[in-house]
Amino acid sequence: MYRLSRMIFMLLLLVPVSGYSRPAGEKEPGTLDLKEVIFTHLGDEYSWELPWGAAIHLPVIVRDYTGEWHCFSSGYLEEEGEHEGFYIAREGTHAHKIVGRDEAGDEYRPLDFSITKNVVAIGIGAFFTALMAFSLSRYYRRNRFKAPRKGTGFLELLVEMIYKEVVVEVLEKDARRYGPYLLTLFFFILLSNVLGMIVVFPGGANVTGNISVTLVLALCTFVVVNVSGTRHYWREIFWPEVPLWLKVPVPLMPLIELFGVITKPVALMVRLCANMLGGHLISLVLVSLIFLLGAMGSAAMGGTIVVSVIFSLFMNVLHLLIAFIQAYVFMMLSTIFIRLARE
Amino acid sequence: MSLFTPELGLVLWMLIIFLILLGVLGKYAWPAIIKSVDERAAFIDKGVEYTREAEKDREQARADARVLLTDARKQQMEIMQQAERAKQEIIDNAQKTAAHEAKRIMESARLSIEQARVDAEFQLRERAGMLSLQIAEQVIRRNLAGEEAQMELIEKLLKEGEE
Repeated sequence: MYRLSRMIFMLLLLVPVSGYSRPAGEKEPGTLDLKEVIFTHLGDEYSWELPWGAAIHLPVIVRDYTGEWHCFSSGYLEEEGEHEGFYIAREGTHAHKIVGRDEAGDEYRPLDFSITKNVVAIGIGAFFTALMAFSLSRYYRRNRFKAPRKGTGFLELLVEMIYKEVVVEVLEKDARRYGPYLLTLFFFILLSNVLGMIVVFPGGANVTGNISVTLVLALCTFVVVNVSGTRHYWREIFWPEVPLWLKVPVPLMPLIELFGVITKPVALMVRLCANMLGGHLISLVLVSLIFLLGAMGSAAMGGTIVVSVIFSLFMNVLHLLIAFIQAYVFMMLSTIFIRLARE
Repeated sequence: MSLFTPELGLVLWMLIIFLILLGVLGKYAWPAIIKSVDERAAFIDKGVEYTREAEKDREQARADARVLLTDARKQQMEIMQQAERAKQEIIDNAQKTAAHEAKRIMESARLSIEQARVDAEFQLRERAGMLSLQIAEQVIRRNLAGEEAQMELIEKLLKEGEE
């Protein structure tokens, strides 16, 4: 309690300093387009912004309407630049995406396989997942029958929690077959979620809050569930045990069941995406509030800094909890769907 | 809204990266980890089972030892009783033998005393006879003057003989 009050006091001390230290001419608060800033941060980007104005320019790989491939650094597109006929759209349906102009001069979206910020972030997430799993397996190779301590012990705790408490409990004899998939799923989502909360380089990308990423994850679960479906599972879908009139002239129940097959992964996709997006959004909004209210003067800005920092700290702690819960829920529901298909 | 429209490029990259990750971890990491964890769990279970068994064995051994100890005590008691009995017997025997021996010795002593007495009697008799003869000889030699003198002589001779 003493520590907490001291921390708040320190933050209060910062107020006037922060309030006065921002030169009024640095950036006109009124000109700041908050919506633009927030949505740029939430979406994908072609380069990775670093502190102090630096940036990592990532490769752009696009195919134009003639079928020709173009590959160049996104550095050419900085500051509304144009390269090989491509530029980043400012507004419209393709806002913040690379677009080109065809012969008629109309804007079109080329096939875009650029290594974007999110692609790199996915790679980093995958790298950390692999690093973690291999550090654990290497520990076991070196220390047979010895329980790990500290960090490795924590990893083992997580693995045991996922595998023993969920996968084995739900899938029983199929646990060994689906365990690797479910464990990979859980740790990849968890690490991506947590990396997304780190503000600077290795993290900060809104990976799991991006619908494309969760789409792939949900698709994987969809494929795994339906590939491992037994005859019983398919019979339950196309010939469920309901009165005959519900399925013969008009296949009402089979239609509903089929719809359920698709909505399950869709729900997974939307749930994870919306939760993580929400977490990022609230952090961004709370920080933006400082700039928004900063226009009213130093005192308002100072006050907002204190409130925003405390509140966003609280929201971040909540977000950390949600990061874990969502990874767990995604994995657990996948497990349950597999189990239902295996019955 | 662009936030909720999947990007083909990102989907593809995500799919590639995730499948590679899944393939690599699914082949080289997770099975090894799961195997190790399971093996260790089995090892610990076995250890616990072993300990429990050992505990039971020890308990059994303790009970066995107790039984053995009781038996040994009983045997000890029996042996001591036997020893006591044997001792008594030996003492009895010894006493009997001693009594017998004593009786025998007494008997022989009695016999030898008897013998000695008989011998002594015989000697006495012989001596008395001899004395009588001597006395008689003296008496005869003195010619026996008067009664008084005779008596005196007899007295004197008897005294001599007694000496």
